[in-house]
Amino acid sequence: MRHLLKHAAIAAFAVGIAAPAAQADTIRIALAETPSDELAAFFVALERAKANGLEYEWTAFSDEELAIQAVLSGQMDIGFGTPYAAMQRSKAPIRIVFQLSKLKFFPVTSQKYEKLEDLDGEPIMLHSRGGGTDSIANVIEGKYDITFGERSYVPGSANRIVALMAGQTDATIVDLSNKNKLMKQAGDKFNVLPMFEVEASDEALFANLDWIQNNEEAVNTFVAALASTWKDMSEDPTIISRETNPDGPIGQLPAEILGNLDTFYTDAVEGGLYDPDGGGRKAAEADMEWYSAAGQLEGDPGDLNIDDFWYMAPLDAATGN
Amino acid sequence: MLTRPTLLKILSTLILFGAWEIAGRIPVSYAFPTFIESMQALARMTFDGTLFVAYGETLKPLVIGILISTVLGITIGLFIGLSGWFDWLMSPIFIVMQAAPLAALIPLLVMAYGIGLTSKVFVVCIMAMPVIVLNTSSAVRNTPGSLKEMGRSYLASDTEIITKIIIPSASPLIFSGLRLGISAGFIGAILSELKITPTGVGDIITFSRSIADYPSMYAAIFSIILLAVLFLNLLESIENYLFEGNNRGYVSD
Repeated sequence: MRHLLKHAAIAAFAVGIAAPAAQADTIRIALAETPSDELAAFFVALERAKANGLEYEWTAFSDEELAIQAVLSGQMDIGFGTPYAAMQRSKAPIRIVFQLSKLKFFPVTSQKYEKLEDLDGEPIMLHSRGGGTDSIANVIEGKYDITFGERSYVPGSANRIVALMAGQTDATIVDLSNKNKLMKQAGDKFNVLPMFEVEASDEALFANLDWIQNNEEAVNTFVAALASTWKDMSEDPTIISRETNPDGPIGQLPAEILGNLDTFYTDAVEGGLYDPDGGGRKAAEADMEWYSAAGQLEGDPGDLNIDDFWYMAPLDAATGN
Repeated sequence: MLTRPTLLKILSTLILFGAWEIAGRIPVSYAFPTFIESMQALARMTFDGTLFVAYGETLKPLVIGILISTVLGITIGLFIGLSGWFDWLMSPIFIVMQAAPLAALIPLLVMAYGIGLTSKVFVVCIMAMPVIVLNTSSAVRNTPGSLKEMGRSYLASDTEIITKIIIPSASPLIFSGLRLGISAGFIGAILSELKITPTGVGDIITFSRSIADYPSMYAAIFSIILLAVLFLNLLESIENYLFEGNNRGYVSD
């Protein structure tokens, strides 16, 4: 009996994960987080794409890695994240088509420190080992020739801000909106350390190469909608709140979040979080360099071929290059 | 000498690992390594010491949590089984604890106890303790009345009735509660490392996943399952040593 069950379990397991991606007309999008103010621009772009005939459905995963796995296994078509390591190491035929946001993170500290050099040998709190903030820390170490002390890991910028305010850490790296929140609440007690500009991607949109080539029309519509939204947003950030569908997932968020959309996107556009051109070759090159320095990609960044990581055609078509 | 149960165990292990190897070779997903790749990663992490350092971290909440759950769980279970008043007072807590969706409660635990060892020990205890308490209490409550009457008619004291009649008679169920509780404790330890802060084995899992080193990720998961199986076998030996009569000759794990 036990044997029989085991056989059945193995068979069910194998069938369950081997089921090939169904060629559907509706594209399946794997979000790396539940819809929040940060995704409002993305949903505006989706509305625009829908108006041009794109059918979509989305699923929110609890983290980026799960979204990547879902696309890798073909259960989802398009995912959120920066799966450079997966592309290189597991030779997965996935390609990035659009840069959604840049790695704009800010070192914030108590008033003990005033510049990055002061953090030599000092403990720092980051998101997770191998994650985005960890890679920023690695690159800071290389550029300023310092070595951080012990690294502790607390996922979520909001949680690290709480830890910083509670005095559990003196230095951390957080995202733009949490940096602004902290400086608004207690700007006199904390410092934002000046840092170099980063062009590399934080979130990008990627899909299986086969799928992209078999669904060229849908991908083109989608990328064109994203590019037009990003461009319009860079000129007038308030379009996001105006174009948000009140019946969509963003429209259903609490009023205080919706009321802050204008501030959020004005700050984000000013802070350079979004590239109006959707990244493209410039972002791809910055990514090669960044993720090599951060240890996610192996080999000399100069030798890496961006066509192994990005699929430029839809973006080129959308931006008229 | 190969007995039939041993042969069956070897056979089912081979089938499972074989299926894993085949699934990895197809491959069912780019993120699914073969069995051999995973074992190579396991060997590499064992020899360079990564695994030992990781278990040094993971075993802290696991061992503390399991010790607390065992000692406190069996004691509370005994009291619940012996006294109706205690049953009324404590049982609901453990029934609720067992049914609670722990992963969803972790943010609450973190709010109350921070991100350190305390929260992780709590997660292990919440996973492990209810089944130990509930199994112990129902076993104690269901001690055959005739045995207790016999003890009394031979003028045994209350303590003697508990230690010489109730506990031995309840021991098979107590130990099956311990087996279930400790396996749940292993789940709790890894859950806390994935959900609270990544340390130890949880850190190997999240880190290897984020750099797409899937063989190492599966090797870490495999190692914790292996450890749990070994530990449960040890527990069974302890049971056989303490209460020889419990061995009914069933196929062991």
